[in-house]
Amino acid sequence: MTKVFSGRNPVSPRNGVSEASSKEKVGRRSFLKALAAAVTAAAALRLSQRATKASEPVGSSPHKWAMVIDQGKCVGCGYCTLACRAHNDAPPSISWNKVIPAGKVGNREVFLPRPCQHCEHAPCVEVCMVGASYHRADGIVMMDYDKCIGCRYCEVACPYGARAFNWEAFTGPNPVVPMWGEPEVERRPRGVPEKCSFCYQRIDRGLALGLKPGVDPEATPACVVACPMKARAFGDLNDPESEVSRLLAAHSSYRLREDLGTAPRVYYLPARQEVSG
Amino acid sequence: MMKNIRGRGKGAQLRAPTITLFQWWLAVLAVVMVLGAGAGLVVFAKGLVVTNLTDLVPWGLWITLDLSSIAMSAGAFLLCAAVYLLGLKEFQPVARTATFVGLIGYSMAMLCLLLDIGRPDRFWHAWVFWNPHSVLWEVTMCITLYFTVLVLETAPIVGQAGWMQRRWPRLAQTLVSVHHYAPVFAVIGLGLSLLHQSSLGATYGVLKARPIWSRPDLSVLFIASAMAGGPSLVVFVSMLTARLTRQAHIKDELLEKLSLFIGWVLVGYLYFRFWDAFSMTYTYLPGRTEGLTLLTSGELAFNFWVGEILLGAAIPIILLLTARLRRIPLLRMIALALVVGGVVAYRWDTNLVGQLVMLTYLPQEIAARYTDYVPSLIEFLSGAGIVAYGLLAFTLGARYLNIVDHRAVPEAEHEARLAAAAGD
Repeated sequence: MTKVFSGRNPVSPRNGVSEASSKEKVGRRSFLKALAAAVTAAAALRLSQRATKASEPVGSSPHKWAMVIDQGKCVGCGYCTLACRAHNDAPPSISWNKVIPAGKVGNREVFLPRPCQHCEHAPCVEVCMVGASYHRADGIVMMDYDKCIGCRYCEVACPYGARAFNWEAFTGPNPVVPMWGEPEVERRPRGVPEKCSFCYQRIDRGLALGLKPGVDPEATPACVVACPMKARAFGDLNDPESEVSRLLAAHSSYRLREDLGTAPRVYYLPARQEVSG
Repeated sequence: MMKNIRGRGKGAQLRAPTITLFQWWLAVLAVVMVLGAGAGLVVFAKGLVVTNLTDLVPWGLWITLDLSSIAMSAGAFLLCAAVYLLGLKEFQPVARTATFVGLIGYSMAMLCLLLDIGRPDRFWHAWVFWNPHSVLWEVTMCITLYFTVLVLETAPIVGQAGWMQRRWPRLAQTLVSVHHYAPVFAVIGLGLSLLHQSSLGATYGVLKARPIWSRPDLSVLFIASAMAGGPSLVVFVSMLTARLTRQAHIKDELLEKLSLFIGWVLVGYLYFRFWDAFSMTYTYLPGRTEGLTLLTSGELAFNFWVGEILLGAAIPIILLLTARLRRIPLLRMIALALVVGGVVAYRWDTNLVGQLVMLTYLPQEIAARYTDYVPSLIEFLSGAGIVAYGLLAFTLGARYLNIVDHRAVPEAEHEARLAAAAGD
């Protein structure tokens, strides 16, 4: 059932599970968790181990993953969408990573690729009643597909339309997955919303193998690797030498709907009149 | 028309026509419930793909029905608070009716939610996995705890039923004795209901992504409209039942007083609505202004002006606050039914307006985009099935539990029994 990219994956590939992070100390919220465990019945106690896959204080990890998308380079080819769908086994009706036409600059068509924004103050995490949407310490907004009850509150709360609900079961082979490869994560069941995870499985496995996300392709989100125009960069904002840090220091950038205070971890470099090759 | 039915029964002294009417009623409810159950099974088997819900409008008819059922249950906490906290003892029999209606309303809401969630097999996750940051977490806790309170409050009603006391006197006695704690339940119920009704408004109000929803006063408007709609339904069904069966007995002066109260609640509600809407007309706010336009002159304008404001508030205010008109039972019943309709229309419009207008996130144009939603046949059928269940539960309650009986004074009975017990 569980599909693994390669045989050497040391990290549990189940969606939403990160063995490494679940053992870390949690702060103020741990009190409420303890209260929850004390009050709920035997069934709750049996499942409390699963309940530990919950939000962790963002920033308690050495990493702070972010993506930079250069709209000056993006040509709207949609490779990122397909690579994402293949690696994450998303159904044809769902795009975790949409490429949206965004008008023109000069004579040039401009596009806005839109993955999950991995907001630091994510509305979906705040509103999820069961805590199925949660923050990892490195800032990635995760979905625990085993916990979600499918109420879709996150969907109405997300300002970016980053979530897509599985209205029906996706069965059969995925048309975008090539013969020679396999998706890296388990397919989501009917009745839960799904979204981009910054390819956390690639990051975690890469780190375990001593690779550097954003530098080594095996440890970098699929959309970044697949982009033929090199319009996307991924890396650690805590590392001043990472490509994302250098790009953000050298160029003016913006984030989507900054007025909402969601503090996305996806930055855009706007397209300019004269585009260098 | 209702008088006709009553008059015929009295004049002819025939039971047969009454029974036929009752049986017809049961048959209609049974058919709708079977259709609804069938539709529900289709939903469970095929998933939410059988609905017309989309990623842009993920909450539709069932959520409206859920919100409306909860609002219609508000009579329970109001009347219990009036009787046991304010000491308005004469309303005790009306509080009985309201409690039973509340229990039905909450169970209807839970059925709606079971249909609506994508993973009904995981409904219990809501109790086991907690995110106290979420308004819906609080809503879950309120539903659970208040439903428990309503069950406990209804226990004495079941215990008082004649057939119950004949067949299982011991159990009946135990159930009746729960009534001893009625004041405690009234306090808890008041707190939970105020929280729950308001937080359903806040469920929408806290969402920054949907500017037409993102207003703190939605919680005030939800509790205010529920305080009008809930008692309206209780008074309406009491009056209707008394006209349809001789088993029900009402004291009209109680229901009239309550109707006057509803009239004043409506005035307060309309006052809040006015300033809420008026303040939104001032500056242009992307999404919010478009949403308000949708309500006042767009797709939802008829619902808004006619359903919510004219029929749902303005006309009932006139009918309920004018003593001469209020004393005419038929006019009062029409007014109360209109209030119920107005509250349902308000829930429908509120739920929909925030979803039909979607803001784009392209930096150069934060613009509104529009979408559409019409419930599918399966949604209608399953929703109708839930309503039919509610009507059946009330019908059976009126027939076998004497839900509408203003002659009974269980309070006095209970106190007499307590006094007797103390004397022993």
